[in-house]
Amino acid sequence: MKLSTTIGLVADFVAERFPVTKMNFASMVAKKEVPVHKMSWAYYLGGLTLFFFIVQVVTGLMLLFYYEPTVSDAHASVEYITEYVSGGALVRNVHAWSSSAMILCVIAHLMTTFAMKAFEKPRELVWVSGVILLFLAFGFGFTGYLLPWNQIAVNATKVGLQSIEEVGNYLPGALSELPRILRETIQGEASVGQATLSRFYAIHVVVLPLMVMGLLGAHLFSVQLHGMSKGVDRESRKKEKFFPTFMVKDLTVWGVVFLVLFVVALCLPFESFFAYPLAEPYNPLGSTPEGIKPEWYFFFVYYPLELLPFWLIFLVMNVGAVVLLLVPWIFRGTSRKTLRTIAIAAAVYMVVITVFGQSIYEMLKGQ
Amino acid sequence: MIDSLLFVALPYVAVALCVVASVFRYRSDRYSYSAMSSQFLEHRGLQWGSAPWHVGIILILAGHIAIFLFPRLSASLLSVRPVLLVIEGAGIAFSVLCVAGLLVLITRRLTSARVQAVTSTMDLIVLAVLLVQVVLGIAVAVHYRWGAAWGASTLAPYLRSLVRLQPDSSFVTDMPMLVKVHIVGAWVFIALIPFSRLVHIFSIPLSYLARAPQLVIWSNLRRAERALAMKVAHSRRLFVRGAAATVSGGVLLGAGVLDKLARFFHGPALSDSQQAEVMESRLERIKSTVEQRELELERLKSDFIRIGTLEELDSKKGRYFTDYEMRPALAFRGDDGMPLLISAKCTHLGCTVASDVSDDGKILCPCHISWFDVRTGAPDPGSPARAPLPHLDWVLMNSEGAIVARRMPDGGTAKEEADLAGTSVYIAKRRGEVA
Repeated sequence: MKLSTTIGLVADFVAERFPVTKMNFASMVAKKEVPVHKMSWAYYLGGLTLFFFIVQVVTGLMLLFYYEPTVSDAHASVEYITEYVSGGALVRNVHAWSSSAMILCVIAHLMTTFAMKAFEKPRELVWVSGVILLFLAFGFGFTGYLLPWNQIAVNATKVGLQSIEEVGNYLPGALSELPRILRETIQGEASVGQATLSRFYAIHVVVLPLMVMGLLGAHLFSVQLHGMSKGVDRESRKKEKFFPTFMVKDLTVWGVVFLVLFVVALCLPFESFFAYPLAEPYNPLGSTPEGIKPEWYFFFVYYPLELLPFWLIFLVMNVGAVVLLLVPWIFRGTSRKTLRTIAIAAAVYMVVITVFGQSIYEMLKGQ
Repeated sequence: MIDSLLFVALPYVAVALCVVASVFRYRSDRYSYSAMSSQFLEHRGLQWGSAPWHVGIILILAGHIAIFLFPRLSASLLSVRPVLLVIEGAGIAFSVLCVAGLLVLITRRLTSARVQAVTSTMDLIVLAVLLVQVVLGIAVAVHYRWGAAWGASTLAPYLRSLVRLQPDSSFVTDMPMLVKVHIVGAWVFIALIPFSRLVHIFSIPLSYLARAPQLVIWSNLRRAERALAMKVAHSRRLFVRGAAATVSGGVLLGAGVLDKLARFFHGPALSDSQQAEVMESRLERIKSTVEQRELELERLKSDFIRIGTLEELDSKKGRYFTDYEMRPALAFRGDDGMPLLISAKCTHLGCTVASDVSDDGKILCPCHISWFDVRTGAPDPGSPARAPLPHLDWVLMNSEGAIVARRMPDGGTAKEEADLAGTSVYIAKRRGEVA
């Protein structure tokens, strides 16, 4: 294929996904309509994710005013925020609860858009950017987990990073050193320490937000450009205006969710879910305390890793990631019914492994 | 005598009367089961009386019942100071709401001719009993503070004893007079239910909540237009009211949020002792970081690192130290009386292994339960860890700094002197350099 034809094809592809003729207020806002059918609730999930992201940005910026990313001061500054700063405990707690809520919404959003086949042409890029945003959200979770520099944070991060090195066992010859070099590059030094904290901090508060802003912009812009996907097989006759009807409803949901988030954050410290010794400052010379676990949204890969051979999980996860990115092309011809079945199966797996992971682990390990 | 009459006999009589008479009334005069609403005769006063009264009394009764049903749970909840303050505060607030509503209802009943026409003596008695009861309740709450807390451990058992048919009035006989009267009032109230409009308590129209709304539509065009005009005017009024409420609520909320934000960014105003506390805990952390850094520096600079004297090592309890790669390691005393140094970094996922040796000579990595044999370093078969923990080389030096023994690369021991008393254990930078 000649270069010019390739360029032409790419240009056509992009032009179709970003139709210039539609880039105006009338078609992106005034005329946009939202179909009304029994899956309509799923249209709120993306907006809800956005809402939690906004909450994260605001509370995150507030925490930045007091947080100090050094090995000696990180935990002390977090303590200072929760114990002395007026409203600090609330802000930090909202940040923690909202992060979990955001990831929950991202996952639900992904599953429903999959089940509704919202990735059909011309929305492939919306899907792909969404999947990358999901990975970024996990990145946020992983890097943010380390910042309080307490026992569970540092030890879980160690374990998480160590599993990169496991890959080396399956690589031949000189290649087997690569994962170790990669881990050390991420860590910044031989073991998790100040360099790691600095890097994770930079990634958490600058690199990832910038990446998300860019991608999220494209994601939202495309959604407005192409409108809501029809979501069900038969084009629903009933529709409502995006502006103002759907938007007001969306904002109402945001309001209610904010109230719930606020009350939960006020009453339930996020850390109350693990034993106190895990919240103590990290002690590099002591033994690792019991109960080191990643955040719940990593359970779907954590428990299989505990139970099955590493290479299997590694393979499945990588294949899964690639399949996820290529969904719009792989499932182009699949019916919504099949997609829904797949999504439900995935949801069942996620719920079971997240809620009962520990019991399953104990049952199979016979402890 | 009078106590057992009031606190044992009266309750049973009241409840029996309430049940039997209510059933009897339902069977003989079913259509009298209602609140006998006078809304049709007069609605302005009713609106300001009935709503506050019912909202208040329902919540207060719910609180009473909750404490009696779950005394232990409520006691533990109420032991938290803010919760107690909120509950007591809300209780008094709602009682005041009740009194306000009751006063409106009483005034209305006494002043409106239309309502007077349907008022029976029983209605007045009911109003009086309710008023007295609520006022008594407030008096108890004010004079004998934190009734929500002490009620759970005194009044709840009393009620429980009644329910169990093993009445024990001793829980209440020593109570202050106010409390006693309040309790007696409650029994009188229960006895009154079947003989008054209070029976409506048993006929809550819950189905109304799910019922489809009933619209009255005029078939007469002129009336329909008038109704529409009224509706429009009404909705306009509602809009203005709603807008005013939203704006004032928004202003209040905004002021609150701004206040909190200002305080957040201003930073805490700490007392000297608090500041000292913060400073101390920070210094502590900085010191431990400094120690850590010093360890690193020491490992870069020196060829030998001292772990302790040989006598300090124990065969059952390991001594943590940091090896040349800044990884944790454990020092034990071996069976041969020589040091036994083993890496404490689990070969599975790098957790730090615990220092206690089990009876069969094994140490545990708590992360994923891997047991390692101290002598060989090998993990138990079936452990998540598969590679053994490596042993570390050591040298023994006497007080003059001369090497008297060392671990050989093959794991054996080379002794240069027989007397090892007073020697110290060191790790060496590199095997070649020690020789």
